[in-house]
Amino acid sequence: MLKGKTYIKASTAEQALSLAKENTDLFRYLAGGTDVMVNRFQGNDTAGVLVDISGITALKEVLVSNENLVIGSLISLDDLAGHSAVCDHFPALAEAVKSVASPTIRKTATLGGNLLCENRCSYYNQSEWWREASGYCLKSSGPVCLASGGSKHCFAKFVSDTAVALISLNACVELLDFSGTSIKPLESIYTGDGMVPRGISPEAIITAIRIPLNHDIRSVYKKLRKRATLDFTSLTTAVSVNKAGDVRIVLGGVHAKPVIVDGKAGDDLKALAAEAVSQSRIVDNDTCSRKYRKDMITVFLERSFKDLQLV
Amino acid sequence: MQQINISINGKQFYLLATEHETLAHLIREKAGLTGTKIGCEEGSCGACTVLVDGKAVLSCITPALRCDGLEVTTIEALAKDGKLHRLQELFVEKGAIQCGFCTPGMVLTALSLAPSLVSETDSSALIRKVKEGLSGNLCRCTGYKKIIEAVAEYVKETSAATGSKSTPFKPAHTIKGGVGIPRPYIEAEKKVRGAAEYADDIVLKNSLHCKFLRSIHSHARIEHIDVSEALKMQGVHYIATGREIPGKFGVLPISQDETAMAVEKVRYAGEIVAAVAADTEEIAAEACRLIIVKYIPIREFLTIEDSLNDAGENERIHESGKFNNNIHKKAELRFGDQQQGIREAEYTSKMFFEFEGLSHGFTEPHAATAYWDENGLTIITATQVPHYLHRALAKVMEVPLSRVRVIKPYLGGGFGGKSDPFPHEIIVAHLSRKTGRPVRVRLSREEVFLTNHGRHPSKMTVEMGISGDGTIKVLDADIAIDGGAYGSFGVVTSYYNGVLLQAPYKLNNFGFRTYRVYTNKPQCGAMRGHGAVNSRFAVESLIDDLALKIAMDPCELRMKNFLDSNTLTVGQYRITSNGSRESLQKVMELSGWKERRGNFEKGRGLGVACGFFISGSALPIIWNELPQSVVHMKLDFDGRVLVTSGSSDIGQGSDTMLAIIVSEVLGISMDKIFVLAADTLLTPVDFGSYSSRVTFMAGNAAKDAALNLKTEIVAALVKKHNVNSTELNFSDDRIYSNDKTTNLSWIEAVEILTAKRGAISVSGKYISPKLGGDFKGAGAGLSPSYSFGACIAEVEVDMETGYVKVTDVWGAHDCGKALNPLAVEGQLEGSWHMGTGQAISEQMKYYKGLLLNNNFLEYKIPTSVDTPDIHANIIETIDPEGPFGAKEAGEGAIHPVIPAIANAIFNATGVRITSLPVCAEDILAKMKENHLAEQNI
Repeated sequence: MLKGKTYIKASTAEQALSLAKENTDLFRYLAGGTDVMVNRFQGNDTAGVLVDISGITALKEVLVSNENLVIGSLISLDDLAGHSAVCDHFPALAEAVKSVASPTIRKTATLGGNLLCENRCSYYNQSEWWREASGYCLKSSGPVCLASGGSKHCFAKFVSDTAVALISLNACVELLDFSGTSIKPLESIYTGDGMVPRGISPEAIITAIRIPLNHDIRSVYKKLRKRATLDFTSLTTAVSVNKAGDVRIVLGGVHAKPVIVDGKAGDDLKALAAEAVSQSRIVDNDTCSRKYRKDMITVFLERSFKDLQLV
Repeated sequence: MQQINISINGKQFYLLATEHETLAHLIREKAGLTGTKIGCEEGSCGACTVLVDGKAVLSCITPALRCDGLEVTTIEALAKDGKLHRLQELFVEKGAIQCGFCTPGMVLTALSLAPSLVSETDSSALIRKVKEGLSGNLCRCTGYKKIIEAVAEYVKETSAATGSKSTPFKPAHTIKGGVGIPRPYIEAEKKVRGAAEYADDIVLKNSLHCKFLRSIHSHARIEHIDVSEALKMQGVHYIATGREIPGKFGVLPISQDETAMAVEKVRYAGEIVAAVAADTEEIAAEACRLIIVKYIPIREFLTIEDSLNDAGENERIHESGKFNNNIHKKAELRFGDQQQGIREAEYTSKMFFEFEGLSHGFTEPHAATAYWDENGLTIITATQVPHYLHRALAKVMEVPLSRVRVIKPYLGGGFGGKSDPFPHEIIVAHLSRKTGRPVRVRLSREEVFLTNHGRHPSKMTVEMGISGDGTIKVLDADIAIDGGAYGSFGVVTSYYNGVLLQAPYKLNNFGFRTYRVYTNKPQCGAMRGHGAVNSRFAVESLIDDLALKIAMDPCELRMKNFLDSNTLTVGQYRITSNGSRESLQKVMELSGWKERRGNFEKGRGLGVACGFFISGSALPIIWNELPQSVVHMKLDFDGRVLVTSGSSDIGQGSDTMLAIIVSEVLGISMDKIFVLAADTLLTPVDFGSYSSRVTFMAGNAAKDAALNLKTEIVAALVKKHNVNSTELNFSDDRIYSNDKTTNLSWIEAVEILTAKRGAISVSGKYISPKLGGDFKGAGAGLSPSYSFGACIAEVEVDMETGYVKVTDVWGAHDCGKALNPLAVEGQLEGSWHMGTGQAISEQMKYYKGLLLNNNFLEYKIPTSVDTPDIHANIIETIDPEGPFGAKEAGEGAIHPVIPAIANAIFNATGVRITSLPVCAEDILAKMKENHLAEQNI
């Protein structure tokens, strides 16, 4: 017989949490679902219970509160990219949002979903048949990482483009879990372990993203990919500078978590870029080679410094 | 299961949905609306796009249960009161529809996009935004150009600001008949309404579903298959394994090396080992998981080098070859004296080239349904070659040819990828025979990639020599191609790699040697431009290099060496019409070649290349005396001409082409012509849609039949009206004598003809003239006519990232005569789109025999924003033997575009591209090398 499966819609975050409680270990939240549904099709996600949170309208608002722009996590990427507050205050974020997937996917995909998008690897994002034939990679419960040729550490790449832009803007997330609501810097939820890339409890829901306003921050966003649309990132960079002269470099696609290097406008920027390169952990798990992605970090960062008139 | 209440196209449906069912599945299988297509099941192609509460949504990754209580709009809802939506009309008018498989999703995406663009008053900004808005919808046929035009026009018409006025829509059948008039396909309206049924849309009552268990090893002996647990599953009806259907088949009689499922051993990872017929797809898939196969892996051969070498103690992939290696075919021909040619050449250039394998990337996955009844076997399947499948099924099922019927419904793109008989077709025929019920199958996109038959990965060393004045003296090619596990068209591919280099330039000393090897990977076969695309790239790159060496304009060098019309090549190809010069001249003018080239900043460049291709093979694949194409024609009392042809319209517009020819010969309008094609019971033999043969061969057969019908009409009128037969004119639905004393409407003439006889049936045929030399291999590449063409490409290269953006392609193609200019443009634009993909982004990447990028996210077909601006030009040379002067337009155009892009990159960066696809990293590395070399001088 085929295994029983369940699909439940939650209309509030609290209801979602209680559904999670009833179905511990078996459930998966579904926001837009554009990532989860593909992972399910490939057999990488086999959760029997789908808790669809896409209908929680309370989590789709954008508002200004306590000097923060507060973005509801379930706003669609398309709505977010067109939102005047985002375009006015954080054009780099709007750009990042528009660089995700395809226009049609962005109508369904949510900001929260993009932040929690599963890490990717050429050896993992495959059908069950393929993964069996390849001997299963580490992330597919196999013995070793195939992309690196035998490592015991998983380097599945971090692919959330919006997270890279948001971290450059010092964004925080509001998390709701069994212990209540908490606010954390966005970067703190990423572990750097490709096997378990996010360090939040299974029932946790990102309810909102808060970006500090009035810091006079400027950010420059760039994305490397083969085609000008549709593709996941081979390298994403965001570099920001605020009025205090704090420089923040954020990289995506080159580690299992975002790479972050902080500095000052007056610092040796080449050294900051070199630090970013040295913190990256790239393996050959992408269309572009490991070496090329590494080389491009410097090119992208130097261009970003120029764009920000730091050099 | 949960019951949901869903409004689809304004109608309330109460449907039972399984918990994790997708909206696409619900719409197609439960609401029965098959206009919504499934192309990838992973949200990467856009074919499944529908509107949910007015918003474009990818229904293949949307849970059906999410849509409980919501309003869904599918393509079927757009036409109202028998009238197409204006956007649909524009898709039809502009020729934005070829195979039509991406069309429903494309139209709905455009419809939801349009309101956001109406305020855009700047034309070029509008085009840019349309491209961006459609960039999640893949189209493999059109190169997007006509789609973008249709959508931009729609936006302009609906915009209050610009408010351009629409001209009234003319349905396709009302457009004046005859040759040379641009027209949409006769079935375009059906396709744009979502009403055209493709293989997976046709659901027969009581059908079972088929799923396959595929090998997880590249090369292994099968020791044991245990299906006992799987058979116990409720809903499983039959499980077949290889031993039950051991008959060998293959498209070529000389390489019948394939079985429907692996027998005793598997030769590639992905080969079918067992097949389940069950009540549902899910049950069949689950049953596959319960089948236990014990394999004994043996040494695998994965590279060309491995397979060329002696296999030693290891078991070969096939045991048939004479030598202890895995070489499938060696082809070699030499003309003139190459040694002498080298001595005469003052400048030579020799390079090594490497090409990755490619997938056709058609949007419709393979699908088929088979059933048996009192007439034997019937299969409805997405095939380019009903005739060869007919033969293969008869052979493997062990039934007479008279007990097999192959029906090709509407087909969602082929490009060579549906031109072999396939295992899944034979397996569903077998399962249906065993279960007594219709059995259907649709391959997943991954399975389509595993079925492959795409362009061969190739390696070649090619040398060319010229004299100081730019005359080509010698050409030599040494080629190895990776065929994968089975033969397919490979023997032909082996020859084409070489022989199709003997034009468009005059050569006296020319030779080649090709090895095709078996490897333990999915088999390669024919793909658009079959066999010669990669070696053409090599030659055109060498010419570019030699032009530089003698400081001659590369266009001038080509002009100097072109073959003339009405001549023989060194290998005795008969060249008749030849528009090489006109084509090159045209693209030089339009691109501003002379003025602009050489005046660019670093990183921008122009490149040129030329090409040619066959208009069908003069020799049949199977040696027999059948005509290459036969057309039957019936004229009945209603005045309608029924045209029956075995040719296969795969989106290239061949049904429309047949109707055009008949309307031209008989002087009647298109609404009096009905084309019935590609059903091997009802239609006479045509060899199918491959080698760019249909317009030339089926077109000539249709013309012959129409002339025979005309003869019948003339004879009847001469008898009745006592008029001289040479004085009768057929035009504008009338038949009249020069002096108009006889002046009849079509229907009056038909009444005279059918009086006391009833319906008239006539037949027409095409048999290629005897051509070519009498040496072994002389038949390869022989064609009654050849197309010629040229492309100039412009690129921008980012000098720091190596990223290549192809901005423009100016192309010209000599198709003899454009019977339907709109369709010819569509073929050219599609070819240049596909060539751009091969040049810059597409490749099949393997990890130990496993295809890494087996989906539309990682196999990178250019989207609307990656495809250059294409400027298509039709060159007409009126071929003496083509129907009304026509020759091929579907494949040849892809040849020049790829080297033109590479030569443009050289012009922009000084980096010679010798492997495809172009790799940004390599460009950077070579620029660095060049820079260092310059510094050392």
